[in-house]
Amino acid sequence: MSGGSARSLAKGSAPPGPVPEGLIRVYSMRFCPFAQRTLLVLKAKGIRHEIININLKNKPEWFFKKNPFGLVPVLENSQGQLIYESAITCEYLDEAYPGKKLLPDDPYEKAYQKMVFELFSKIPSLVASFLRRQNEEDCSGLKEELQKEFSKLEEVLTNKKTTFFGGNSVSMIDYLIWPWFERLEVLELNDCADHTPKLKLWMAAMREDSAVSALLTEPKVLRGFLSLYLENSPEACDYGL
Amino acid sequence: MEDATRALGKGSQPPGPVPEGLIRIYSMRFCPYAHRTRLVLRAKGIRHEVININLRNKPEWYYTKHPFGQIPVLENSKCQLIYESVIACEYLDDAYPGRKLYPYDPYERARQKMLLELFYKILGYQNTIFFGGDRISMIDYLFWPWFERLDVYGIADCLNHMPALRLWTAAMKQDPTVCALLIDKNIFLGFLNLYFQNNPDAFDYGLPC
Repeated sequence: MSGGSARSLAKGSAPPGPVPEGLIRVYSMRFCPFAQRTLLVLKAKGIRHEIININLKNKPEWFFKKNPFGLVPVLENSQGQLIYESAITCEYLDEAYPGKKLLPDDPYEKAYQKMVFELFSKIPSLVASFLRRQNEEDCSGLKEELQKEFSKLEEVLTNKKTTFFGGNSVSMIDYLIWPWFERLEVLELNDCADHTPKLKLWMAAMREDSAVSALLTEPKVLRGFLSLYLENSPEACDYGL
Repeated sequence: MEDATRALGKGSQPPGPVPEGLIRIYSMRFCPYAHRTRLVLRAKGIRHEVININLRNKPEWYYTKHPFGQIPVLENSKCQLIYESVIACEYLDDAYPGRKLYPYDPYERARQKMLLELFYKILGYQNTIFFGGDRISMIDYLFWPWFERLDVYGIADCLNHMPALRLWTAAMKQDPTVCALLIDKNIFLGFLNLYFQNNPDAFDYGLPC
């Protein structure tokens, strides 16, 4: 398994060759929370994979042949099949590969995880808006909204009476939402979880998970990336290499 | 039609538990999202009962079925509630035997889900009245024929969904070009009827003799 710390490919780069058999390729970016979902599932299921990082501020032309939307993550297998949209890539991996199932077999429990995923769905754009905030007013408004969303998740944990969102062990829904919670510290949004103690406990428990801890990014590296990214610097995606 | 019942509104009695062997759908006869779930129930031959909800005058008890009072919602005899139309459809495919609607192959399943995202992105691309801006342009004409045909089937949009698309359809119908070529609903339905019977006279349906 290689490529996680490889320099990103940009405009003018040669397109990569076909994916060797026995391997699956993920087009990614070291700091992208959506791509992190796919990397978490690859790790949790022990799937042999290679990573090609894409410079999202200076995309290679060939990348639009992999995903017409030009976004990461994208999976490419040795049959040349392409799968994109992070949640779809995660479900595909769970279905196509053996080993520990991250989604439950029970139809209702599986549907329940998807309903929780819907509950979470406003958080990525709130966090993105927070990153781009212009002033203090935006800041407090956004923090309030984030707290509201966190309360919804707290309610789930309260009703389920389990540590994780799918039960007493980590499962798909936990991996799908984790990347944004990893970023709270660096964004100075940790206090938004002050009124949601079970969510806080969940965050601590997630850090103990082997896939999560293997993919944690050092806060100062994340900060370095964020400031370059907000300035639209083409160097952002390779920060720290 | 199992769903030809009056919609329940404020002040109505909450329904009892769902009997075993049945699944219940909270629905509305003209809602396209609930329509999805009813299609799957029918396609899989799943025994179900329909409770229509008055979306402009929701029963207070309905918020115990869905936190925001949306439809569709499935309720089974174990009191489990499933909502979001796509999630409900997948649940039915997983939980019930018989013909599988999603493919078995993981890649083909993923492809169907990617297509659905494309559909939402098309709807999401619209942030002005017309798809290309504030005036009708090529892309609107390129989309219109499919939407005109949907409109001919007379399914009024669910009032809470897709207001932008409703506005677009109304705006399109004011365009002189679109108007001039609008297909008469009855003639179109007459055509379809003959077409599906492989009748070669289909193509001339509605022309003066």
